[in-house]
Amino acid sequence: MTPPGDSSQPRLAAGCRWGTNPNEPAVLFPEGMIRLEGTGQKILELCDGQRTFAEIISALTARYMLADQKRIREDVSKFLEELNSKRIIDY
Amino acid sequence: MTVIPNPLALIAEITHRCPLHCVYCSNPIELASIKQELATEDWVRVFNEAAQMGMLHLHLTGGEPLARPDLKTLVGAAHGAGLYANLITSGIGLSEGLLESLVSSGLDHIQLSFQDANEQNANWIAGAKSHARKIALAEGIRRFKVAFTVNLVVHRQNLDQIEEMISFIEQMKPDRMEIAHTQYYGWALKNRDSLLPTREQVDRCTEAVGKAQERLAGRIRIDCVVPDYYARYPKACMGGWGRRLMLVDPMGKVLPCHAAAVIPGMWFDNVREHSLEWIWSESSAFRKFRGEEWMPEPCRSCDRRKEDFGGCRCQAFLLTGNASATDPVCQLSPDHDLIERALHRTDPNTTEIHWEYRQNPK
Repeated sequence: MTPPGDSSQPRLAAGCRWGTNPNEPAVLFPEGMIRLEGTGQKILELCDGQRTFAEIISALTARYMLADQKRIREDVSKFLEELNSKRIIDY
Repeated sequence: MTVIPNPLALIAEITHRCPLHCVYCSNPIELASIKQELATEDWVRVFNEAAQMGMLHLHLTGGEPLARPDLKTLVGAAHGAGLYANLITSGIGLSEGLLESLVSSGLDHIQLSFQDANEQNANWIAGAKSHARKIALAEGIRRFKVAFTVNLVVHRQNLDQIEEMISFIEQMKPDRMEIAHTQYYGWALKNRDSLLPTREQVDRCTEAVGKAQERLAGRIRIDCVVPDYYARYPKACMGGWGRRLMLVDPMGKVLPCHAAAVIPGMWFDNVREHSLEWIWSESSAFRKFRGEEWMPEPCRSCDRRKEDFGGCRCQAFLLTGNASATDPVCQLSPDHDLIERALHRTDPNTTEIHWEYRQNPK
């Protein structure tokens, strides 16, 4: 399995989508759903198939005013790789 | 009063009509006829009620859901209500044109079943010439924006070809692959002696699936659960009785699972008379085995009761004659020898097989 590269453009995989209840942000997929809040929600919102992985990292670094970009990169990469193995995210 | 959390998903068995006659069909032996089926507007109302209760997923199944000419309307209604719409299908009756219109109506996921990798064997299990048409359809699915799962039911007659079947499915490039061991209800129970796999087959399958999972990681997600006859403890059937799911049958009767109608003395309320919400909290069928009060020993004092909820009530009834018994697949069950004896009969050298094929409703 490969982690996302800088130029990868992560997006929700076919048939995975946001739920319709605005009070409970969640991504629905064939066998279930993940409720999202905070950072997880923000990351997936940025995975629009347009932004590159590098752009997503910059956006998150700026938003959370965090200095440790290496750490963010590792965490987000792991998160997306996990969702990729569940066929929820493509990149 | 205890508050019952609302269910997560609705299984809609919209018809029992089906062009296939699979020997392991999970439908009841008593099938609903077309005249008894709910009307379009009943289903639409049910989907809206489900969404209002907070249910997220709708599994459209049958029989073959494509046998309903109003399927596009039903998918559209589900989507309009905000439900995640999943179509569980044999693919027979699905053209690319129809698939396109279902996807544009809001279909999120299609789960296509196969019986084997080999055409002759597949048609033998399905009791119909269906394999070649399924392949033709599968080749076109990836052109549509829809999640795609291939489901393959495995049993003694096809498990020796597990590697070939995995490669066969891989070529269709689905997002998910479900290797489903046969479960012994309905028609499958009638054919159990020819379907139950051997221990060696189950072990080889687990190994082959493990290797494929590693090789296909990130491309195809593979799910496969050890069949309960070979497990030490029972499955948490439906996530527990009346805990997560509701099933509406073609006539509108609401059941806690596919097989519950086999249990004698049960009354299933109908969506023609009651709302889903009322049925969930008030109907005697849903309350019958909810919670722990019904549990006998060894379940009652067992630490696993919160994980497996005593196993499957239908299986308990079908095998022991008592729906309140511990699921006999549990090695702690006093009736576990029933399973041992069934497994003892799995003679791989049996040559003569007389299937009891699934019939169609009259």
